[in-house]
Amino acid sequence: MHNKRLPLAGVRVVDFCWVTAGPMATRNLADFGAEVIKLESRTRVDLVRGYPPLSEGKTGLNVSGPFNNYNRNKLGITLNIGHPRGRDIVKRLVSISDVVSDNFTPGTMSKWGFDYERLREIKPDIIVLSMPVMGNNGPRRSFGGYGMGIAAAAGITYITGSPRRMPVGIGTAYPDAGPNPRHAAIAVLAALHYRNRTGKGQHIELAQYESTICFTGTAVLDYTVNQRVQSRMGNRLPYAAPHGAYRCKGDERWCVIAVFNEEEWRSFCQVIGNPPWTTEEKFATLLRRKENEDELDHLVEEWTRQRTAEEVMMSMQRAGVAAGVVQNGQDLLEKDEQLRFRGHYVYMEHPEAGRIAHDNVPCKLSATPGVLRRPAPILGQDNEYVYGDLLGMTEDEMNQCYVDGVFD
Amino acid sequence: MGNISAPELALDDVRVVDLAGPMGQYCTKVLADMGADVIKVERPGGDPARNLDPFVNDEPNSERSLYFYYLNTNKRGITLSLDTRAGREIFKRLVKTADVLVETFNPGYMDNLEMGYSTLSNMNPRLIMVSITGFGQAGPYKDFKAPDIVGVAMGGLMNLGGFPEDPPNYPGAFQGYNLASVDAAIGVLTALFHRDLTGEGQHIDVSMEESVSTAIELAMVSYALRKIIRKRTGRQVYRGWNEVFPCKDGFILCSPLGASGWPRILEWMNSEGMAADLKDKRYKEVLDAMADRQMDRNVSASRIDPRILRDYTQEIRHIEEVWEAFLMTHTREELYEGCQERGVRLMPVQNAKDLVNDPQLIARNFFVDVEHPELGARLKYPGAPYRLSETPWRIAKRAPLIGEHNLEIYVGELGLSSRELAALAGEGTI
Repeated sequence: MHNKRLPLAGVRVVDFCWVTAGPMATRNLADFGAEVIKLESRTRVDLVRGYPPLSEGKTGLNVSGPFNNYNRNKLGITLNIGHPRGRDIVKRLVSISDVVSDNFTPGTMSKWGFDYERLREIKPDIIVLSMPVMGNNGPRRSFGGYGMGIAAAAGITYITGSPRRMPVGIGTAYPDAGPNPRHAAIAVLAALHYRNRTGKGQHIELAQYESTICFTGTAVLDYTVNQRVQSRMGNRLPYAAPHGAYRCKGDERWCVIAVFNEEEWRSFCQVIGNPPWTTEEKFATLLRRKENEDELDHLVEEWTRQRTAEEVMMSMQRAGVAAGVVQNGQDLLEKDEQLRFRGHYVYMEHPEAGRIAHDNVPCKLSATPGVLRRPAPILGQDNEYVYGDLLGMTEDEMNQCYVDGVFD
Repeated sequence: MGNISAPELALDDVRVVDLAGPMGQYCTKVLADMGADVIKVERPGGDPARNLDPFVNDEPNSERSLYFYYLNTNKRGITLSLDTRAGREIFKRLVKTADVLVETFNPGYMDNLEMGYSTLSNMNPRLIMVSITGFGQAGPYKDFKAPDIVGVAMGGLMNLGGFPEDPPNYPGAFQGYNLASVDAAIGVLTALFHRDLTGEGQHIDVSMEESVSTAIELAMVSYALRKIIRKRTGRQVYRGWNEVFPCKDGFILCSPLGASGWPRILEWMNSEGMAADLKDKRYKEVLDAMADRQMDRNVSASRIDPRILRDYTQEIRHIEEVWEAFLMTHTREELYEGCQERGVRLMPVQNAKDLVNDPQLIARNFFVDVEHPELGARLKYPGAPYRLSETPWRIAKRAPLIGEHNLEIYVGELGLSSRELAALAGEGTI
């Protein structure tokens, strides 16, 4: 199979998304070959263009690490939607596109005349993705928040971390990079398949708050069925012990270990040299280990502290016990042999930001793999291609648009 | 187009054979909830995930696991042993009728059973086969055991949360499995789109570690560009932009003083006599500077040198104390409404009970009641992650009972006789 065609080649996306969750959603489509045209305005650039970290020793709007990560494989144009001709140009673009996406607060797109009903008048089979935080209706539709706040509101933060501590959660804007962009991509792809079958487009509304709740597992059911409010369990599970992160040799080095059954327990004991405590009655069964888990964790850590996290992982895994280094950015990029083997980090030369690392597509399709083809666009990089080649504007027309501020 | 017979579900022309363990069950749920006919193939006696807690009324019972219920909505279930030749023959007949096969065995397991991708695709070239594992199908770690905690640790997510003096926080609710599952679903649907146009199937290799590693926001980028290793920062989750604060009845997440809307928040505090001396001129510059480094303002319009913040450590501490005192006089609900209505993006730390009672979710009919005839009850489930106008997400049916659809599928669809079925049951294949 040597199919060089990208699977979503021919799918064109007019992308109003900005900040994180939206751009991460359309990144999935761009990676597989969709032509994602990112709309920005010089007077209102994607805010992420200013987010740190920036490439070392560089300034300006084209060197933000997060921006260049979220927007690889996309085209970028500048357009002033406040200008009537700007809005006309959006309509012309929509008429030759398949998907329109945004993650604005409700009402923003309609204010410009780009709500679903009007977009489908322009392109009857258009697929429109909107990603409001709380949804387009309801008493709190105007409420907003960032990824970290969405994780808190949706219930993930409450069930993460130590029961002895306040709920501080995952420590990152997880919904923006985890559930929400991926659910959004799933919905668009399902809608594309449906359009292949029927010729019909549709509107997709992804409320980021709701989408994140779907990643809270059994918390809702446990409450609605058993009236139990699930809370923080530390790093433990009801049916495993030991199960947690253990301090290892070095500064801030940790390895997780997870033992689920008797066979794994015996292997675990063997790896740590069968010290006498492992044969004590209080650790004899999973139930007994759960009952004495604080002490167990302490004893496990006495062993791990003498060793590097990598040694702990390798010796456990060789014996069939689940273990893994709590990896940081450096581990991922420089130490992890698996990721290196898989070519997970792809370096591309960006005209202003330099040669930068990108994480590769996490699902590998054998016949039509996603490909990292180009770095994120510098502001307005693709104006000529989009306005000239795609929309057929002449050089004079384009110049006039620049003069009149249409392309601001 | 006026096509009155158009289907109403996005994926109701897709049949999925589901061999997935916990790592892939949310993937097949996603497909089933959009209309795919997902046939869950369980070992005789049932999927081990049926024994995972929590249970209905806390009664451990393989038909009562809420974990299993949540991840297996809308699926049909059959029992089949892949350890017998007869079982594998039947499995292959089933795969011939399938569009998608999802499996989460160790790399090489399916090949050893002579059911690897090359064998199955010879039988069914249109087949899209997805293999979800901890580390992918090849490479030095491919045989590592990978429960969820290993995935979130190795992928770089676990390193980010928690207090610096404690172990890193293990994210609740199996985020490694969730991420691998949704990435697998993206792969399936991308491959399906390609197959719509070309008829060609393919094999998809999903690594949980890689999935997690693309959901760690700035951790990789920070090291790649500036050699910065992200550290756990406890309640100051985001360096002055987003912090956890206690309030009267729990916790809320917001910036130290209300972000760019601080003048309105200060007015609110003042109206309740809780602004202390923050209205004094000397705090204006500090509050401005604090707001200025919020995420939600146009960075190009930055007016104040952030170094000012370092010169005003004392003042900032005081501002935080006044703010915290104000927060303690209000409930999460009051702060949520009060700040959001003033344009400040404060969010409450909510639990499942709060979600079920949230007027927003209730107004949007987010939760869905699912009939469980065996329990004589309707259970309330979390609803749709997305709302598609033409092809709505739905839960039509609870998770299958063990072997619930054996007759329907083996006899009704694959054409086995009842004698054959009895023989297969006798030898333990079904």
